[in-house]
Amino acid sequence: MSTINLQEVFDASLDQPDISAASRSLRNEAMVSFNETGFPSRKHENWRYTDLKPIVSGEFDPSPQPINSQQEKKASQDIEKSILDSKALRLVFINGQLSTNNTFPNELNGLSISKKTESYKSIDVLQGKELFKDYPLAALNTAFSQRETLITLDEGIQITKPLHLIHINSGTEPRAIHPKIAIDIGTESELTIVQHFISSNPEPGWTNSVTLINQNKGSLLKLYRFQEYPHEQFHTELLKSRLGNNAELKLGYVDLGGKLVRNDVHIDLAEPGAACSIDGVFLAINGQHIDNHTLIEHSAPRTTSQESFRGIIGEHGRGVFKGKVVVHRDAQGADAQQSSDNLLLSEHGEIDAKPELEIYTDDVKCSHGTTVGELNLEQLFYLCSRGIDETTAKGLLTFAFANTILQRIEVPEVRKRAASSIAGELPDHQNWGGLL
Amino acid sequence: MNNTNLLQISDLHVEVEDRIILNGLNLDVAPGELHAIMGPNGSGKSTLAQVLAGRDKFEVTSGSIQFKDSDLLSLEPEERAREGLFLGFQYPVEIPGVNNAYLLKAALNAKRAVNGKQEVDAFEFMKLIKDKMELMQIPTDFLNRSVNEGFSGGEKKRNEILQMLMLEPQLAVLDETDSGLDVDALKVVATGINTLRSPERATILITHYQRLLELVVPDYVHVLYDGQIVKSGNKELAQTLDERGYDWVKIETEKK
Repeated sequence: MSTINLQEVFDASLDQPDISAASRSLRNEAMVSFNETGFPSRKHENWRYTDLKPIVSGEFDPSPQPINSQQEKKASQDIEKSILDSKALRLVFINGQLSTNNTFPNELNGLSISKKTESYKSIDVLQGKELFKDYPLAALNTAFSQRETLITLDEGIQITKPLHLIHINSGTEPRAIHPKIAIDIGTESELTIVQHFISSNPEPGWTNSVTLINQNKGSLLKLYRFQEYPHEQFHTELLKSRLGNNAELKLGYVDLGGKLVRNDVHIDLAEPGAACSIDGVFLAINGQHIDNHTLIEHSAPRTTSQESFRGIIGEHGRGVFKGKVVVHRDAQGADAQQSSDNLLLSEHGEIDAKPELEIYTDDVKCSHGTTVGELNLEQLFYLCSRGIDETTAKGLLTFAFANTILQRIEVPEVRKRAASSIAGELPDHQNWGGLL
Repeated sequence: MNNTNLLQISDLHVEVEDRIILNGLNLDVAPGELHAIMGPNGSGKSTLAQVLAGRDKFEVTSGSIQFKDSDLLSLEPEERAREGLFLGFQYPVEIPGVNNAYLLKAALNAKRAVNGKQEVDAFEFMKLIKDKMELMQIPTDFLNRSVNEGFSGGEKKRNEILQMLMLEPQLAVLDETDSGLDVDALKVVATGINTLRSPERATILITHYQRLLELVVPDYVHVLYDGQIVKSGNKELAQTLDERGYDWVKIETEKK
């Protein structure tokens, strides 16, 4: 394989007339930062359990590729296979590029979708030197992202239908894709976003995604992120969010596919009364490696966070969870609850789960707990005593373990889809016909 | 072997963690019969129920159990259920994340597969369950709720009987299905049990109290004490036990 020189590809990608001065300078800054840090190594505390070597040595080509019509057609089939009905609001990205033919609609009552070219204050404060240093992969994303998509919702608008962001890894070559989305939710507004990551590429590829979110006062954002690659794909991502007064963010993470997956979440509950919840489910079976790293900062009084992750780890699967909660000096009355529960289906599986709590004020309510267990024998016997064979009963209980989290997804079609996907992905699962 | 028996338990010895629980128990149950097994706490009633259903934490050290044409002890719990044995649990477990509908469909399909029948479809399933849910006074949203999660004691017991009605077992073993029920719930449960009584089916009712036996009238009443059936009689025995307690039976037994 020819060696890819990232700097050269980067220089070539900037050598285009339509790139604004603002984005040119941001991307340059990101590239400089990445050159200083390089890929994170396992020496770094946050990367102790996850080795990016397969991605680094994969030398995935990040140069932009225009979408061809075949891919567009293929994409519409892929979309049909995903959750959507034909009237669903959606943005479709093929290898990081917006597929306008598959996108619907472009604008909707206060919701606007555009390509971010100029600086946009509430988003740009979230990125820059510090972010690039803490998250080198986010720097790489910014350097190579061809299109930063800006989604803004005006003040006082409630959109009830979910907006689907569908990222498709398409084509037949190993490729690095750097999708970047910025979301700004206006005061007292409400939006639901479903972010899908799917792939029809038979070759291993790497998607390195960044999502930046600003939520203004009293706004509500529900964001469900659903990753369903085949098992050859690599995926890394950062979601960074800042919440204003009494704003609320509900996150749902479902990871079913991928060979090596690393999700970073960084939430700043910046103003009084801001609240967030993260509900995550992942499946690490057949040699998959799934890593969730979350950082929640309580920066203001009466901020609340609730986090529950559930992992199912099967044959040679590896799960990693690190949940850090920081309660800053000004965050009196903060409430932070965190749990990580893991089901080990095989003795050849491994889970490293680590909660971390830093508290710099009194008057807080914090709790965290980590469990690693096997299936409950009382429950198993109960099911078998009803005539259900042991394999199916184990499948039902494994599914149930994940399903208690999935039940919190407030978009029914996403909830159902996730449930049936998990049922279908379980090892040794049988006799599910007609159950779901 | 007496071919008219549905169930024949001979000289059954059971231990758990080196403690002897059943100590030479004998019991024959013929089709159409309802047997009540009573006895003081710790006499081994629930162990008997669990052993019949195939709970592996109990070790059968000697004796045999014949169920229909099978050596029951050689069968897995799911095989026993498909052969037509049903255990109504004293403490039904909660299974968060598994809907009642999943459980019932999976159980029905497992039984159907044995009989070479097709899987139940949604329409047929609803048709099957609707009347039974009404009979057991179970609300309609129940099917989408997790098995026993957040159910009251009475709801859990009604759910056991609903499952029994759906699976139509040949032998139902009901372990303290009456405990923790108020008078109205007791009536509902009794109706459920009586609905399934027929000349082909048999029931073993494990209970502490006589009150259920006024509504579900037994053919035989047995007293289980120290791992053996020490006294058998008809429904009057239950009444006597209710009035006089178990001490006189204990004294009688120890005299022997």
